[in-house]
Amino acid sequence: MHPFDLKAALLAKHAQHVVLIHFPIALFIAGVAFDFLAQWTKQRILAAAAYCNLLAAAVATVPVLITGILAWQWQLEGQRLKGILLMHLVLGGASSLLIWGVCLIHLRAQRKGGDILPGYRWPIEGLGVALVTLTGHLGGFLSGVNLSN
Amino acid sequence: MRRSVSIAVLVGALAIGIGTIGAGQRNFLASAQQKPETTEVKIDNFSFGPATLTVPAGTTITWTNRDDIPHTVVSTDGVFKSKVLDTDEKFTFTFSKAGTYPYFCSIHPKMTGKVIVQ
Repeated sequence: MHPFDLKAALLAKHAQHVVLIHFPIALFIAGVAFDFLAQWTKQRILAAAAYCNLLAAAVATVPVLITGILAWQWQLEGQRLKGILLMHLVLGGASSLLIWGVCLIHLRAQRKGGDILPGYRWPIEGLGVALVTLTGHLGGFLSGVNLSN
Repeated sequence: MRRSVSIAVLVGALAIGIGTIGAGQRNFLASAQQKPETTEVKIDNFSFGPATLTVPAGTTITWTNRDDIPHTVVSTDGVFKSKVLDTDEKFTFTFSKAGTYPYFCSIHPKMTGKVIVQ
């Protein structure tokens, strides 16, 4: 396949979830990192960067969830999942909820002026990063990217 | 006279021996042709092994997932389709009609194989 064959890339069965998943992972981890740096350096620009990244991460989870569920329904005909596939689905759902939760915390703070963010967001953001990492690891394992030939 | 009888007996014995060996060989070849070479396909390291399998009609093939990752066995033409196979789970299908049956893993579409039924 040619690397710039857009038709083949966009219409490839089952490939979209694997491609799209990288966006919320990168945006969320970057958002949490910016939030930490903003707290540390007290710079508003970093807080704004954190807000934008976390909002974009939350939005990016929607197509990822849709394509993941579609892959399950179309490729596996909605079979009852077990093992790694079930774990990936549950952790993916939980990660999405945490991303949305973190985004809502920042959204509320932004509406109130943006200066006061609650301290309880740190364990939620930490748990979110851990779950996203674990889900991504399982996804990579399932897709075979870590295959050693 | 005795010598010619001995020769005749020897020739007869040789003829029977050669005939028996020939018949045995024919039976052996026939039975070898009837039995498929292999009826098991192993799924390991993200590949089907052997990737191409030639069998006579009526053969039952068993796919066994020896990988740590779940896989499926899905016919490209929709002739057969397994459920998701976890490690050590099996899927069997009997090929009654001659033809070529390409298949793949629906979780990992790059994993492909082929069964040729003669």
